[in-house]
Amino acid sequence: MTTSGGTTQEPESAQYLAARLQRALAEDARTTEQGVRVTVRGEHVLLSGDVACAERRTEVEAVVHEAAPGLQVLNDVRVVPVGEPVGQEEIR
Amino acid sequence: MTRIAAVGDVHLGEDARGRMRPALERLGDHADVLLLAGDLTRHGTVEEARVVADEFADLPVPVVAVLGNHDHHSDQQDEITALLDDRGIRVLEGDGVVLTLDGCRVGIAGVKGFGGGFAGKCGSNFGEREMKAFVGHTVGIAERLREALAALDADMKIALTHYAPVPDTLRGEPPEIHPFLGSYLLGEAIDANHADLAVHGHAHFGTEHGLTPGGVRVRNVAQPIIRTAYTVYDVRPAGVPASAAG
Ligand SMILES: [Fe+2]
Ligand SMILES: [Fe+2]
Repeated sequence: MTTSGGTTQEPESAQYLAARLQRALAEDARTTEQGVRVTVRGEHVLLSGDVACAERRTEVEAVVHEAAPGLQVLNDVRVVPVGEPVGQEEIR
Repeated sequence: MTRIAAVGDVHLGEDARGRMRPALERLGDHADVLLLAGDLTRHGTVEEARVVADEFADLPVPVVAVLGNHDHHSDQQDEITALLDDRGIRVLEGDGVVLTLDGCRVGIAGVKGFGGGFAGKCGSNFGEREMKAFVGHTVGIAERLREALAALDADMKIALTHYAPVPDTLRGEPPEIHPFLGSYLLGEAIDANHADLAVHGHAHFGTEHGLTPGGVRVRNVAQPIIRTAYTVYDVRPAGVPASAAG
């Protein structure tokens, strides 16, 4: 991560960062979320996957933002649709 | 022919209360039974299980469930099972139920399942006690699934798990984490009993369709995959008499 003062600290490798954020989502009691994927690209963190309601989409973003405040979070997480199914599959 | 509705990984909690109920009200028009493939809650608390019960109780068709890893997170799985059973949702773990639906005896055997991986790429019951505990958990569960399927006296047998019995339905998940998503031992138990269908969840990024080595259809019904309140399979039993199976 780059500090705001212009001095550069040892950058956290994208792999370690992605792993740390993935664990934060799974282990933080606010989210306990295993269904959201974390992709780190430079200064961006992309979140993708589905959650059960809009509040959780916001919570997921907040937890990641807290854990990596210097990065821009791109939140592609969707709220899973819960409509009636159309048709059925025949299994013979 | 029996219409089997199924969904997994609904991950309910107070914040998602009531979201699914509108689509469930007409369930009887679509299906004869509803299977819930685990991860009913997010934190595995009794409070969340109450939301699950309110969502799935008093439906026009029987509801049969297994729990998932999230439902074990707070170590309240026994209380959750009792609460759901009390509200008429039958929770299976190493046992089965036979329902007569439209004249067909539909047997459902269920376990949570566990990880371990798939043939050629799996853990062994060897080495550190932690490794033996991990693999031993799966071995024991798979054995209970095998026995529960064998004990069903039914025209049609369905295996209900949370973890995956085959790798096919994990396509979309990184192969490196497959050992945490399922075990071939579950598939072996399913094949040994010539089940007519195997339903699971857990792999939110996986694929709906798969097949066991023995030719049993596998369906991953994790809600992020089916993208509806539930999906419906119209199943005709293979025609193998129950007595000839297993
Ligand atoms: Fe899940
Ligand atoms: Fe799960």
